[in-house]
Amino acid sequence: MATGLAEILDNFVKSHNDRQLLALPLAILAVSLIILLVSFVSSGSPVKLGMDFQGGTQISIETTDSPAVLEKTYSSYPITDVRQTGSRVIMQFGIMDDEQQRQLEQDITSHNYSNVQIQQVGPIYGKTLQVQALEALVISFIGMGIVVFLLFRTFIPSFAVILSAFSDIVIAAAFMRVSGIELSLGTLAALLMLIGYSVDSDILLTNRVLKRRGMVEEKVSKAMHTGITMTTTTLAALASMYIVSTFSYLVVSSFTQITLLSQISIVLIAGLIADMMNTWLLNTGILRWYAMKPEFRGRYNR
Amino acid sequence: MSDKKSLLKNPRVIIFILILLGSIVAIHPGYTPGKGTTSNLNFGLDLEGGSWLQIQLEGALVQVDVDSGKLVSGIVEPIIGAPIEITKNDLDVGGSANKSITFTTSGTVSASQLEYLGTISVDKLSGSTTQVTISDTSKESLIQSYLSKALDAEVVTKSTEDGTVYEIRTAVTEQKLESLLEKVGGSIHKNEDGTSTYEEGVSTDTRDLTKEILSDKLNSLGIKDIPVRTVGDKYILIDFAGIDLATAKEIAEKPGKFEIRIQTTGNETEHVLYGDSIVSVGVPSFHDEQWHTPFTLDDDGARTLQKVALETGAIDDPDSHYLKMYLDGVEIYGAPLSSSAAEKLRDAPIYSWEASTGTDDAAKTEAKALQVHLRAGALPVNVELVGSGHVDAGLGAQFKTAALIIGLISLIGVAAVVYFKYKRPEILIPMVGTSTSEVIMILGVAALIGWQLDLASIAGVIASIGTGIDHLVIITDEVLSEGKLPPTRVFKSRITKAFTIILGAAATNIIALSPLVVMGFGTLKGFAITTIIGVLIGVIIARPVYGIVIKELLHVDENGTASITE
Repeated sequence: MATGLAEILDNFVKSHNDRQLLALPLAILAVSLIILLVSFVSSGSPVKLGMDFQGGTQISIETTDSPAVLEKTYSSYPITDVRQTGSRVIMQFGIMDDEQQRQLEQDITSHNYSNVQIQQVGPIYGKTLQVQALEALVISFIGMGIVVFLLFRTFIPSFAVILSAFSDIVIAAAFMRVSGIELSLGTLAALLMLIGYSVDSDILLTNRVLKRRGMVEEKVSKAMHTGITMTTTTLAALASMYIVSTFSYLVVSSFTQITLLSQISIVLIAGLIADMMNTWLLNTGILRWYAMKPEFRGRYNR
Repeated sequence: MSDKKSLLKNPRVIIFILILLGSIVAIHPGYTPGKGTTSNLNFGLDLEGGSWLQIQLEGALVQVDVDSGKLVSGIVEPIIGAPIEITKNDLDVGGSANKSITFTTSGTVSASQLEYLGTISVDKLSGSTTQVTISDTSKESLIQSYLSKALDAEVVTKSTEDGTVYEIRTAVTEQKLESLLEKVGGSIHKNEDGTSTYEEGVSTDTRDLTKEILSDKLNSLGIKDIPVRTVGDKYILIDFAGIDLATAKEIAEKPGKFEIRIQTTGNETEHVLYGDSIVSVGVPSFHDEQWHTPFTLDDDGARTLQKVALETGAIDDPDSHYLKMYLDGVEIYGAPLSSSAAEKLRDAPIYSWEASTGTDDAAKTEAKALQVHLRAGALPVNVELVGSGHVDAGLGAQFKTAALIIGLISLIGVAAVVYFKYKRPEILIPMVGTSTSEVIMILGVAALIGWQLDLASIAGVIASIGTGIDHLVIITDEVLSEGKLPPTRVFKSRITKAFTIILGAAATNIIALSPLVVMGFGTLKGFAITTIIGVLIGVIIARPVYGIVIKELLHVDENGTASITE
């Protein structure tokens, strides 16, 4: 699979000029930015904020009661959502005061459900986390940018790497918005990880093209074979994580979804697929144009 | 040369093997029939089952600019309802600790109204003019008393190089504080660069004291070992292993019972007061050749203590009437009244007390412990519950199993892709072997430093399997770029080239995750630390060895097919 994909991509890159290579990734980046912008204008946030950032309570229990029954049972609390996955039901509650919160917890305890999981976040703490999350993303991205500049010390190639990483994150975030995945601490971690992960193959590509002898075309093609293998192995690990954490209850009924791992893996998968496109079309397009510039007189192409 | 034994002479390989063995020893996996598998690994609450509470310490730190005359007018005038005129003011004079300020007014003044500001003396000068002197005071203590009364909260002063910092131990906004200071003609002090000195939160000392009190209180209940951790400057996290959330909250909120009793005859004691009579507890200090812990009683407490001391005869014979302090029924301190205190108690109640503990280091420790105990579980600052959670033990065990399965399946998935690409077991085996060793080493480090592995950390471990394999692919492709093993000299330069790429990638990985380590997002910190440890172990220890191993293995192989000679 890895080899096949690399061949197809390699042929595509060879048979199209730089401008054509940039068209698709830039179009997708633009669409993603529009999605985030529309969301920001309409809801005040580019992605849907989860409980971690908004405050509230999430209770997940194992029960044979249907969501409708549970919604009725807990109707005296600000219940906002009830979802069923396998034998488990996840109930989402809005913000409550300490007294009500305690009552709900006692209520849940008195029902003797099995395998209870409760998570509660205060609204003020959620707000603090929102600010911190944004700070973390910005600092992380700037830090990555600095390392990339230090590695290559030339503007355009470094810029290409950073643009491609930026696009990975924007596309992953837009994917979250469209598929309704909320920004939680887990998905935030995934986005941060993407910053680190996505530049791996870009660094490989840029290093090979700028710091080795050989024809640009050939160097790109070799880097691509290595890079695609890298991304596919990572995708294999993430796909395993996603499948087991999300669907294992279909095989072993006593198992439950592990939401944290399921969300981390799906966001990373989306980001890495975007990364394949961004590295081998966007970054490659810019880098190939740069390396072939007449003023270098074949410095990178010999 | 192609002898596999030569591998074992390579220092990198030796170090790798030693660290791998060390990690296994650190993890100490074992199997006890009936009990299942055991290890030295610490698992987080989400894998072990239990509840956690995260609380925020509310407070503010601020420096204040105010003119001492205006301050006193601002404080006193609203109380007595008449204007005052300052006639003598030595508050701004340096030197002696006990300063005073004198003013005259046409209003009526009673000493008790102003008592909280210092020692008050009221003299009628003429028919309508009253002269009042506040002594035993200072500008700082006036500010402290004013803020404390206005906000109904404890305010503590701390001298720093930049001036006196006031720690307000309740939530207060900058605006509120600014408007309070405005009333006494003051303002919040600005730093040299023009930024405000107002800061939300409490000092590190206060945070640590709060943590100690909580820890002391929770663990004195003796149910289980309850770890209390600080997260950043503002948050404290408490883990209750195996306890449900409702019970956890009950335990956390139940104050300890502190009591002072007095010895009557022999070993008999009589109740004097409970912890609720203690208004504030100061920081232990060393003076008069003894360690002391200061504390203040409220009106009721002080009067009761005086009454009991008179009734029991403690005033005449302090040595046979020890004052004893109990926390949850256990005696924690006992000492007689000092002769000077006994004398003073004859005439009036005493509000400010000091418990002396002795001269040596043990006394210092005791004084500090007393500081915690006197509060009887009442925390020095207001706290708010900002987050909590609960995972049933059964669910945690299930998560653990699932995490293990995910780890294994990920590894198999990765191995399948690698095999499909290279179709050579002599590449596949070292690759998977290196990856597995990296995981073992990460777990070894976790066991060694006592790091709690939670679900997020496990995601970190799996993430490092992912990056680890990526880097091994880079090494492999670099080395085998002609499809076969190059001569040693070329091989070395290729490995170096591969590592330039790997180190660059690793550096960005670490940088990208470091904000999470510094900012301390709770669960995400575990994830970031595990991933960073994974990247470091991989780059420094494991991946170089992979380079050496495939060279040897492929060399043997290529020799066999006689395609390369050295």
